[in-house]
Amino acid sequence: MNRVAAGDSGVDGPLVIGVGNEIRGDDAAGLRVTRELRPLVGDRARIVECPGGVTELLDLWEGQDRVYLIDAVRSGGPLGSWLRILVGDQPLPSPLAGTSTHGLSIASAVALGQILGRMPARLVVYGIEAARFDPGAELSPEVLVGIGQVTRALAEELEPAASAPGGPARS
Amino acid sequence: MTERTIAVDYLARVEGEGSLHVKLEDGRVDHVELRIFEPPRFFEAFLRGRMYTEAPDITARICGICPVAYQMSAVHAMEQAYGISVRGALRELRRLFYCGEWIESHALHVYLLHTPDFLGYPDAVRMAKDDPETVKRGLALKKAGNALMQLLGGREIHPINVRVGGFYRVPSVEELESLRPTLESALEIAEETVHFASGLPFPDAEEDYEFVALQHPDEYAMNEGDIVSSRGLRVPVSRFDEAFERAPVAYTHALQSVRKGGTPYLVGALARYALNGPRLSARAKSIAREVGLEPVVRNPFRSILVRGIEMVYACEEALRIISAYRPPESAWVEPAGTFHGGVGAAATEAPRGLLYHRYRLAADGTIETAEIVAPTAQNQKRIEEDVRHVVERSLALDDAHLTDLCERAIRNHDPCISCAAHFLHMEVERT
Repeated sequence: MNRVAAGDSGVDGPLVIGVGNEIRGDDAAGLRVTRELRPLVGDRARIVECPGGVTELLDLWEGQDRVYLIDAVRSGGPLGSWLRILVGDQPLPSPLAGTSTHGLSIASAVALGQILGRMPARLVVYGIEAARFDPGAELSPEVLVGIGQVTRALAEELEPAASAPGGPARS
Repeated sequence: MTERTIAVDYLARVEGEGSLHVKLEDGRVDHVELRIFEPPRFFEAFLRGRMYTEAPDITARICGICPVAYQMSAVHAMEQAYGISVRGALRELRRLFYCGEWIESHALHVYLLHTPDFLGYPDAVRMAKDDPETVKRGLALKKAGNALMQLLGGREIHPINVRVGGFYRVPSVEELESLRPTLESALEIAEETVHFASGLPFPDAEEDYEFVALQHPDEYAMNEGDIVSSRGLRVPVSRFDEAFERAPVAYTHALQSVRKGGTPYLVGALARYALNGPRLSARAKSIAREVGLEPVVRNPFRSILVRGIEMVYACEEALRIISAYRPPESAWVEPAGTFHGGVGAAATEAPRGLLYHRYRLAADGTIETAEIVAPTAQNQKRIEEDVRHVVERSLALDDAHLTDLCERAIRNHDPCISCAAHFLHMEVERT
């Protein structure tokens, strides 16, 4: 289900989407970033949460100019480190394939969007390296650090004068 | 002695993760184990000490695919404990809410998870490359279900608008009417879906299921009814424990649910259709006849057709409810009298089947104990039987093809491992 409009500030501009399940440990990383980001960016961006199936991402980002998506990933990198990937016309890199606990993976949503012509003009994915996905688990301390770093990086990226970096990058 | 093992370490296209281990000995199936890994009792522990009003909100987070089912079972259980009766427009709105979840969940499974099996694609993405229109149909149907869920559930990260006794806010006639074009279009797509699915190639299979579902005298049951089975069981939900038992199994973290005496049973679309088919709408029944769907479907591969029929019905039912809607005077019903504590139990029909909740409450409304029996935990043992039979019929296949068929046998039942458990990984051992 798409309960994505949580905290939607209703403004135009970049769209920030946090993906995850807040009671499954580190899976909440994407949601936490959006919550910490909201007071920092004010009305410079629309901020939504997507805790359910990721096919709704296509509905959310279709026709948008700039979209930033944050999710927990398991790519073998250090816990709490993070990736920033500018998604082009190619499949999402392997670190972000098949890591989702949200039914279809983010990579599948991107691939479907590319095939069906339902992608935003520009999509940036931030992935925070995670470990615990058990129900009721706390966020790992390292992931909490990563959440803070990604929040700041994203806030900078959303500054009006910020130059939009390319990608990919890793913390 | 010749041994052969089939192992699937990660089952694709099921919600969540798990694994399957099949051991063959001298050309005979020795055992089948569907393994599910997760601390399944976590949510029950998490609920203890919480107020009864919190259960709908907390249980909605158990599954990202069927939050409505969890909410509905929770609120009905609490209302039973408090003696609250929700009738009229509020009852109809709940049914409408459930229609949204059936459409959304069935569309996801039929188009993105199940259809690739029949057309020989590894996943929906590859299928979309060759046949984007089919995937677009599925996404459009799913979006229609979502629209219903968003309107009634509230525009939040999970459907916060549901409360014990009703809703925090009910929609206006205009809000519901705004969904009419979407649902009329969805109804057409659902009909197309059944015709499309009827042309798919179905492997031969005939399973001797004991079907279990809710049954209501006047409607295709979603929220209310007795628990009935195709072998003569009929009990009120409050006597669930007299008919079923649950036991931990060494190789899985989910409790396996069986009939008293240990026999497996099946919940879900096939069970609902077999037990409640006569209560479908005339149109849904007519389409089922058009495509040659038998009144009781025992070939699990044909479950895709039954889900299609249920989507037709859910779209029609949603339109019927919207047409008749008059907003209720109050968005919820308050408990009457003094509560002295007690037990409340309820079951509703999640897209994947019967979902049972039982709570023991203290006099102040605090949850003392919670018990949640998810559909996939109930189907787990029966799915193992399906896999056993598929393997027995297909021993001549090489491991790759046999493994593929086993995975398909599991996906036929749209298991939600996320609810029953978390991560699923298949092994076939031939000795």
